[in-house]
Amino acid sequence: MMAILNEWVLTWLIILPLVGTIAVAIMRTADDTDADRRRVGRAAFAWSLAVLALAVAMVLLFCRARDETGGPAVAAGEFALSQNVSWIGDVEGLEPVPRAPRYLDLRYHVGVDGLSVWLVLLSALLTTLSVWASFTYIRTRVKEFYALVLLLEMGMIGVFCARDLLLFYVFFEFTLIPLFFLIAIWGGTERRFAAIKFFLYTFTGSMLTFAGVLYLAYAAYSLPAELGGGRFTFDLDTLHRLRLTDREQWWLFLAFAAGFAVKVPLWPFHTWLPLAHTEAPTAGSVLLAGILLKLGTYGFLRFNIPLFPAATQTFAPMLAVLAIIGVVYAALAAWVQGDMKKLVAYSSVSHLGFCILGMFSLKQAGVTGSVLHMINHGLSTGALFLVVGMIYERYHTREFGRLGGLARRMPTLSFFLVFFALASIGVPGLTGFVSEVLVLLGTSTARQATAGSPAGPLGVAYAAFAATGVILSAIYMLAMCQRVLFGPLVEPAGGHHEAHDLPADLTRREIAILTPIAVLCLVLGIYPKPVIDTINPAVDRQVLAFVHPQPDAREPLDAFADANSKDKVGRVNSDTSQGRAPVADSYFHTFTLSHVHTLPPEAHP
Amino acid sequence: MNGGDLLRPIAPELTVLVGACVVLLAGVTRAGRARGLTGWLALGTIVTALLIAWNSPAGNGTAFGMRVGDLAWYVRMIALAVGAVVLLVHWQLPSADERGDVFAMILFSLAGILGTALADDLVLLFLSLELVSVPTYVLVSIGRSDVRAQEAGVKYFFLGALASALMVYGFSFLYGASGTTAISTMALNPRGGYATLGLVLAFAGLAYKIAAVPFHAYVADVYQGAASPVTGLLGFFPKLAGFIAIMKLLWIVQPFDPVATGWNLPWAAFVFLWIVAAATMTVGNVLGLMQTNVKRMLAYSSIAHSGYMLVGVLVGPVTGGAAFRDGISAVLFYIVIYGLMNLGAFTVLAMITSDGRAAEDLDDVAGLARRQPVAALALAVCVFSLMGMPPTAGFLGKLYVFSSALAAGNNPYYSALIALAIIGVINSAIAAAYYLRIIGACYVRDAVRELGVVPKSFGLQLGLVICCTAVLLIGLWPRGLIAMARRPFHDAPVTTLVHTPPPPTMMNSPSAQR
Repeated sequence: MMAILNEWVLTWLIILPLVGTIAVAIMRTADDTDADRRRVGRAAFAWSLAVLALAVAMVLLFCRARDETGGPAVAAGEFALSQNVSWIGDVEGLEPVPRAPRYLDLRYHVGVDGLSVWLVLLSALLTTLSVWASFTYIRTRVKEFYALVLLLEMGMIGVFCARDLLLFYVFFEFTLIPLFFLIAIWGGTERRFAAIKFFLYTFTGSMLTFAGVLYLAYAAYSLPAELGGGRFTFDLDTLHRLRLTDREQWWLFLAFAAGFAVKVPLWPFHTWLPLAHTEAPTAGSVLLAGILLKLGTYGFLRFNIPLFPAATQTFAPMLAVLAIIGVVYAALAAWVQGDMKKLVAYSSVSHLGFCILGMFSLKQAGVTGSVLHMINHGLSTGALFLVVGMIYERYHTREFGRLGGLARRMPTLSFFLVFFALASIGVPGLTGFVSEVLVLLGTSTARQATAGSPAGPLGVAYAAFAATGVILSAIYMLAMCQRVLFGPLVEPAGGHHEAHDLPADLTRREIAILTPIAVLCLVLGIYPKPVIDTINPAVDRQVLAFVHPQPDAREPLDAFADANSKDKVGRVNSDTSQGRAPVADSYFHTFTLSHVHTLPPEAHP
Repeated sequence: MNGGDLLRPIAPELTVLVGACVVLLAGVTRAGRARGLTGWLALGTIVTALLIAWNSPAGNGTAFGMRVGDLAWYVRMIALAVGAVVLLVHWQLPSADERGDVFAMILFSLAGILGTALADDLVLLFLSLELVSVPTYVLVSIGRSDVRAQEAGVKYFFLGALASALMVYGFSFLYGASGTTAISTMALNPRGGYATLGLVLAFAGLAYKIAAVPFHAYVADVYQGAASPVTGLLGFFPKLAGFIAIMKLLWIVQPFDPVATGWNLPWAAFVFLWIVAAATMTVGNVLGLMQTNVKRMLAYSSIAHSGYMLVGVLVGPVTGGAAFRDGISAVLFYIVIYGLMNLGAFTVLAMITSDGRAAEDLDDVAGLARRQPVAALALAVCVFSLMGMPPTAGFLGKLYVFSSALAAGNNPYYSALIALAIIGVINSAIAAAYYLRIIGACYVRDAVRELGVVPKSFGLQLGLVICCTAVLLIGLWPRGLIAMARRPFHDAPVTTLVHTPPPPTMMNSPSAQR
């Protein structure tokens, strides 16, 4: 029973939103009365709550899951809750060669590890909240709207669960469709242009990724059979065994980076983002910033770094420089925006620069901080977009010049805006702090080679420049709060829009939307250990283990792997119940969150 | 040995031919009832032929200039299956006294496609290709009085005739160089002067059929002038026949190599085809960007898709190993998907009216999502598939074609093929821009014209449902179609000649039975 549940929970989690899409789309309600709109909205909300409940259950199952050796999968940094079935393969009988071996092996392979499990949960949470926040915001074509949001949820969950590169790519591309419609139909005045620009930018980048993905499958096909080759497959377990030449890695890294860098967005490729954010409806902005941008960083982390370790070492300084330019440039750009939503959008670019920087420090602290920063940014920026949306619903403007002194008019909203602004800045005690410190720590200590953790490609100078971004974020966020909330009361000429029967301050529904995020920001700021405890081993096992055995220094590590297990295929072994992952960053381990790394007692030999 | 045994292997082709003649005759009787039955007669013919083909035994055999084998089997399957949908889409189109003619033309054209796949002789190949084309000339202008349709018909006919002349001229050189018209025994030296000249001329004629650059100029005008269902047909019938003929001709220069890894093309021929493929993709997509007429957009997209398929043709057959390395099966897989999604898109255009006339501009489909949500959804599915978005079949088609190029590691021109695949993916991104405009018009803009649905459009609706379902189903569950498309690579005439001498008749030996 438990085994079935473990195997199927992710598939249910992917299918459930799809069922919801269809259920909402065929609801027999007209669009024209408020009662109808409420019915549709509530149905979608109930459905997304069910998905959220299942996602929470999934996280609990994940924490209890065991890996193949019987040890806890979380502590080993292993994947759990996997389901692996053949999707596209050879068909006996119709094939020309009798009893052909399985040459074609495209799989439906899902699973979560410490890197993805929180992002899945975050997707379900933010979808639920943005559905809830749309009750009053969306007044036209409501059925289509909620159906598309649920469809987007399916794509987002699927992307983080996929363990087959092609399956990942399918979901990755698929998310474009619902988001395109969300922006294009319910967006602002420039919505068509924004939606098409968003779609074309991301699509162009990901088509190059597509070519890289296909080439990898061919490389897997050319592997010797004992390494799982001879099959045309996109399975990550097989792809991890590839020994690509440096030249191949170089090109493939670029191809993959083309898709992911646009999605992140990394500095010169970011121009689609402020436009898309400004024009998107609140729900679209929340999901775009909260989840979809993470597809880029997640892609770098999951594919670029482990699959092309040599190229990663080559490109890390360049990407870090782009990331730092992004951090500083976007922070400065955010400072001068006249529109609250644009400001938050630019702050996203700045924050995601931090994610990229931490990731390419290739140190445990930095990569862990980067993953944590993805979650934190999803929470704080998602919440900021929600708050801005709530102001917009009341005043139909987001411009600084037309708003001011709102603290008097809406004290509760002001509290939340200031709270989330502080969380976004990274004030100690709130969520952004921990991850920014980890990222900067990992970056600045990257030069130090310690036992089990060779020097990374970055250094103190990178951290110093990036740290200015933190200061700038305080400046622009606080300036925004000051201009909008304090000083003399300024309201647009029409004053407060009573037409939508919204009171001046937040309704109970709106408070209920923002409170869970606020609580999470606080909890993650004060006690991030449970989350870090799951991320850390996964960072070691799924990312750094592929990087730090340098291509020319593979032998000792291979020997290490051989001594520990039956798996003799060059990949560092997973069996952490026999020995700790070899790449613990001992600097980090000793001086910072040393409790983080304690394994449960039964995991020690 | 009686006549029945001799004819049995080509029973599907004969069924379609006989059915076409019957439908044509029934269409000109004075009895109104007989004319009303022509549609059902034609559909029955196709279904019967499909059933016969499905049940026909496997195995290869050559006789009387025909070759029954896996390629013929596959083409029968897809041409008849898609042909049935094409027929459904035409159901309401013709006026009462032209129904018989239109349906008979569709059947004749289908018979031509089946003949192309059967042909093992240059003369038969030429006749079959003409049998595909001539009915389409009729279909483009039948029952249409507007000037553009006349222009389209005339243009299509004269340019088509020129292309056929080029092709048959090329065939004559091939005959001169080899002394035989039988394709499977031709065994030309690909570097010989006459052979090269013949192949280039023949390819020029076939490039017209598949709408490849530089023989693409007619496409936009003809697609715009023809009725939408006919346009859907034009995207599939001539293309399929053209690609099959191209593959057959390339097989002439294939060396006696049972484990093929691509064609053994001389460098010049490879460069020539490479340039044609790259130019076809790029020109199609770039010109597509400049259109405001949906039919013209889809016409240029049709050119671009020919370019993608030419990538697979260029990769050529890769025997053994994984399916996704074989360029031939990639083309055979892609062309079905292209036929269905293209037909689906044109079916939507045929189904909706704007200000009382057939829709063709972007303005005509503006606001479609609110007036006709189902039609808009169907159009979106087909256009996303043309764009190559997962989880539609178009995505897998692109996957198959481009992976065949990227996985051609043994090919002597591997780097050129990689470059071609990269040009292909960049082109897919360019194409997304104009496909998005179609979707954007449907879903985002408000209606500017009075939108409606043509009356009594049951055939159109059924055809549309089949197209969309197939596009989604193949996208999610392509195993069967991939396996079917994989069979014909086996059919390379030379390999069969090496391994099994052709039997004296087309009878299959019991051991070859499936």
